[in-house]
Amino acid sequence: MSSVPPSKPWWKPKTVKVKRSYSSFPFLNAWEEFRGLLPVDREPNPGVGLGVEEGLLCQMVHSPEFNLFPDSVVFESNFVQVKKGRNWIDIYKASYTMALGVTSSVPCLPLPNILLMASVKWRQGQSQTWNRPSMAPKIILKRILPLKFVELQVCDQLQRILRLRTVTEKIYYLRLHSDHPEIVFYFWVRLVQILQQGLSITTKDPRILITHCLVPKNSCSPSGDSQLVQEKLQASQTSDSLMQLMANEESETLSQIFADLHQRNRFSSRSSKKTETKKDSSEKDASSEDSIPCTRDLSWRESFTCGEWERENPSGPQPLSLLSTLAASTRPQLTLFIGNSI
Amino acid sequence: MAYAYLFKYIIIGDTGVGKSCLLLQFTDKRFQPVHDLTIGVEFGARMITIDGKQIKLQIWDTAGQESFRSITRSYYRGAAGALLVYDITRRDTFNHLTTWLEDARQHSNSNMVIMLIGNKSDLESRREVKKEEGEAFAREHGLIFMETSAKTASNVEEAFINTAKEIYEKIQEGVFDINNEANGIKIGPQHAATNATHAGNQGGQQAGGGCC
Repeated sequence: MSSVPPSKPWWKPKTVKVKRSYSSFPFLNAWEEFRGLLPVDREPNPGVGLGVEEGLLCQMVHSPEFNLFPDSVVFESNFVQVKKGRNWIDIYKASYTMALGVTSSVPCLPLPNILLMASVKWRQGQSQTWNRPSMAPKIILKRILPLKFVELQVCDQLQRILRLRTVTEKIYYLRLHSDHPEIVFYFWVRLVQILQQGLSITTKDPRILITHCLVPKNSCSPSGDSQLVQEKLQASQTSDSLMQLMANEESETLSQIFADLHQRNRFSSRSSKKTETKKDSSEKDASSEDSIPCTRDLSWRESFTCGEWERENPSGPQPLSLLSTLAASTRPQLTLFIGNSI
Repeated sequence: MAYAYLFKYIIIGDTGVGKSCLLLQFTDKRFQPVHDLTIGVEFGARMITIDGKQIKLQIWDTAGQESFRSITRSYYRGAAGALLVYDITRRDTFNHLTTWLEDARQHSNSNMVIMLIGNKSDLESRREVKKEEGEAFAREHGLIFMETSAKTASNVEEAFINTAKEIYEKIQEGVFDINNEANGIKIGPQHAATNATHAGNQGGQQAGGGCC
């Protein structure tokens, strides 16, 4: 079944005015104003403008009906579920999309640890007015998955298709909706990279001690949490050191973010001049599913052991928007991506 | 669709007892013999009517297998009802009920209504847990009890709806503070204005009374 995407995007670039405020980190507001790079009251959050933050999925999980992860940002996009044939084939009608998002169970985690999946049924002619309640599409939250049980891969970079595999071998092929600009797929590529490799500010730092695992290694009983209280205590203690380290690295990370956002702008202008080019061999490697390590056992996530950044009860704010986290670091890879995509 | 109340349910119990099948039978009225292991949480919802009021059940189907229960305990928060499920053909799933119950009581609000469900009642020939044992366990721990079959749909509607009735009665009695979202009850848009009028005078007829 062929998808006929709406002719206009469902978000409103440059028209959504959102005051980005870090209520728990007031110095960040001051820092931003000092830098003068993103005047918080005048320009929209670029993530909102791109339709990847504060979107449908975010609004739903933060709504009173769910009230999930209320202090955590959600990075999200709309995808079309496809299946492999001679070409990629849409599974559902064009009016159905899947909203896929990542967020953090607690806001101070440096990286997302939760995957959200929702089905969206669009009505005709509402693409630019989705944020009006009376015209909002029907969105149904389907699943919440800990990211440690999910493998996300770039399946076909040219077609902007991700491959999502759960630890139970459920596989989804998801094509980024054509209304999303190219940069959005780049952010998903970055997310995939980050989930596979981590960030320099995460637990590769030996000073951050992971003392608590969400999944008890000894699973004799359904609950099996006899030391829960003690573990929570330890987790809260380590969260202090995490906070301190995050604060120490904040300045550097933010510099990277702004540099990256500038780079994104350059990318956008270059994309407009995009011409068709043949894929080189490295591109083929990146887009070919076979090139991506795919083990048949469940060891690809060191199954059921502690995720790199997963903690149950750390406290404290998440200083950066998720988009910013995705934008941060590893500029050489961004350059590579841009080089391959134009 | 507008509703008077939203009740959050959580379905818990050992892996393979039929939690997801119960949900599917209740929401879609169909049975799927082979179901993927649940990881994290899967959601279902359905509107029901109690005492002439539309009530939305928001149902959280959780992972039974311990390995996949990452952060599941936090999902208890804000549940108004729990369906605690065991398999009548597997004694071990019944033996684990105490642990599940402790877990639920520890992480949920004290007023949460718990329905004990002995599922797979269609498999009478393979029964390992007598109905009387389920009844006794429920009586001992203050639970409601039913035997169900997600396959034949026997008692599935009743299990979900009776739990909602119990919650509704608690609202009427003023046991549940409906203004406290931690209780797993949300007032729907059609009742929000009415409830505001009764602010500070919750419970009893005020809580249940609506504009229509």
